[in-house]
Amino acid sequence: MHTWLEPKYFAWLEQGFVFTLALCVCTGLCATLSGFVLAIARTAQSAAIARAASLYVFVFRNSPLLVQLLFWYFGAAALLPSNWMTWLNTPHAATWGPVALRWPSFELFAGWIGLTCYTTAFVGEEFRAGMRGVSRAQEHAAAALGMGRYTTLRHVILPQALRIATPPLAGQYMNLVKNSSLTMAIGVAELSYMSRQVDTETFKTFQAFGIATAFYVLSIAVIEVALVVWQRTGSRALQRGRA
Amino acid sequence: MSPFDWLSTLRYLLLGRFPAGPLGGVALTIVLSVTSATLAATIGLAGGVALAMTRGIAHLALMAVVAFFRAIPVLMLIFWTFFLMPILLHVDVPGLATVVCALALIGGAYLSHSVHAGIVSIGKGQLEAALSLGLTSWQALREVILPQAVRVMMPSFVNQCVSLVKDTSLAYIVGVPEFTFLANQLNNRLMVYPAQIFLFVGFVYLVLCGALQWFANTLLGKDAR
Amino acid sequence: MKHRIRGAVLPALLTALLAVASNAAHADRLDDIKKAGVLRVAAFDSNPPFGFVDPKDNQIVGLDVDYARAVAKSLGVKLEVQPTNPANRIAFLKSGKVDLVFANFTITDERKKEVDFSTPYFASGTQFIAKKGTLKSPDQLNSLRIGADKGTTNEQQVRAKYPNATIVAYDDTPFAFAALRTGNVQAITQDGPKLVALLARVPDKANYEIPAFTISNDYEGVGVPKGEARLLDVVNATLTHIEADGEAAQIYDKWFGPKSAAPLPRLFKIGDPQKSS
Repeated sequence: MHTWLEPKYFAWLEQGFVFTLALCVCTGLCATLSGFVLAIARTAQSAAIARAASLYVFVFRNSPLLVQLLFWYFGAAALLPSNWMTWLNTPHAATWGPVALRWPSFELFAGWIGLTCYTTAFVGEEFRAGMRGVSRAQEHAAAALGMGRYTTLRHVILPQALRIATPPLAGQYMNLVKNSSLTMAIGVAELSYMSRQVDTETFKTFQAFGIATAFYVLSIAVIEVALVVWQRTGSRALQRGRA
Repeated sequence: MSPFDWLSTLRYLLLGRFPAGPLGGVALTIVLSVTSATLAATIGLAGGVALAMTRGIAHLALMAVVAFFRAIPVLMLIFWTFFLMPILLHVDVPGLATVVCALALIGGAYLSHSVHAGIVSIGKGQLEAALSLGLTSWQALREVILPQAVRVMMPSFVNQCVSLVKDTSLAYIVGVPEFTFLANQLNNRLMVYPAQIFLFVGFVYLVLCGALQWFANTLLGKDAR
Repeated sequence: MKHRIRGAVLPALLTALLAVASNAAHADRLDDIKKAGVLRVAAFDSNPPFGFVDPKDNQIVGLDVDYARAVAKSLGVKLEVQPTNPANRIAFLKSGKVDLVFANFTITDERKKEVDFSTPYFASGTQFIAKKGTLKSPDQLNSLRIGADKGTTNEQQVRAKYPNATIVAYDDTPFAFAALRTGNVQAITQDGPKLVALLARVPDKANYEIPAFTISNDYEGVGVPKGEARLLDVVNATLTHIEADGEAAQIYDKWFGPKSAAPLPRLFKIGDPQKSS
């Protein structure tokens, strides 16, 4: 049981890890942007937009991610017209000089969409909690100074809200890394999928799962450390009056 | 499929093969959630108290364990408990128990963290006042600290329960016949209704989690918010 | 007083655990089955006609289940079926959650290191399903995206013989077929008989075809936990017996005979000599 994995299989696990990281980074960026928009929508003046945003949050937070992924991969694929599906499935490449971007496979695309929609709901709620954490007195003071809603948001509320929201947001990014493991169910060749592959071929269950777990814990630890660094520099910067 | 087939299929999704076989479907999802939640709450309370009461090496070790279980994806822990626990412990563990174990450990780790934060937020003053009144450590814990800590922990506990209900869907990966697994089986059989089936599954979970949150809000009132 | 009790609990727990562990290591599986009165078997739940859910009573039925039932009958115990997909078969067996695997389990040398196999009761070859007209010769495989099932020999064979093909592994065959239908993969691979049976039950079967070539010769047997010699002997004896008295042929006829959804002539009988791959 305690023989090491052959390099070929270790390379598979590394590939899976790179995939996981790439997927998480792309999803994280998109989810942060959409979550931001969602939080603004939740606090919008128009009741219809606010209600729609609430419904979005309710639906995507209260259904399992696995079911959502299965829906996007199998259900949505069945609902889309067939020429869309053909386009989505043929490889496309956009080349700008030395950089070539290849269109991802459908399962990666569906996994990305599913993860983004799910994470957006949570990120949006963290942003909203951040905005609520800013005391109302700030809003009133800004109004008293003659600032409109947009100016207030941009210069007074949001900077403070973002600072309050950053630790829980880091928590959501950690959740994102963990949730990416579910995309293995729809065939995305990320770390958990690879660890299962290695296990079924080599039967070295302990090594395969051990290495994969180590990679996950490592990523989470990196985000945790980044958060601590940010907190230290953030508050120190505050103390020096520069924030 | 005739209306009669729909009814028997619905019954299958709700109850599994019970009573002609093991419990499955939505009923099993509920059983899994309740069992895991109870265990997680116990582990969480015990862990949180232990975190608050220990110092030095024991405290660090406990923090490391809690951090590990908060960092590992649920799926990977289910793989560990399902594939490796029986081999390592040479005990035959039924599939259900491995999933409950994994979910309870992770839920327990998150709750330990919250309970610890809750106890710390209550402040040392309460514990010292209780001790100076002649209560033993355990009595102080039971009568003074824990009631306040549990109140602080409640919103986190409700969130954890909702997560647990959603995470039971992962039992599908290891062949436990809960709701998502049976819905997949049905989808494999029918083949041409994936969108409808998964929308239905999502809807049932929405109902389950929504009901849980509504229940918690009405039962616990403003404390749960 | 408290310390003495606390001090006694841990050794007691350890002793109990050790007792359970040592018991589990020494008891023979066959005796356990007979004592419990139930034979637990892992079979497919989404792969007609080997193992699938009968919509009438939601029980798992199929060719593999019937063979399992014959073994259970010869042991005089009840049969309990654990639904599985190809990826979880070996895990179920090795972790003791089932006693036998009746799930179109292909015999390979690597697997023989982990589990024991009975005498083969089914023969097949790895084949493919593709949309009509897309796959004509095996050489095309190197340029295609191929759907396979995790944990199957088909996946490993395609990867070994066609290293340039992109293989996407799914949990079970219907998932792979759904991916084929939406165009996410251009072909899927499985044992020939499984594909024939799958295609016969698909509503839009006219759009797909199974090209005539196979890329391997495989034999399927019953998975038995390693080292359980008495259980293995009972399984082998039962299989030989039902072949001799014609029950095996009847079972085959029920699922692959002329009146079934996907008729296939019976080319391999239990006990036939095996061709090398």
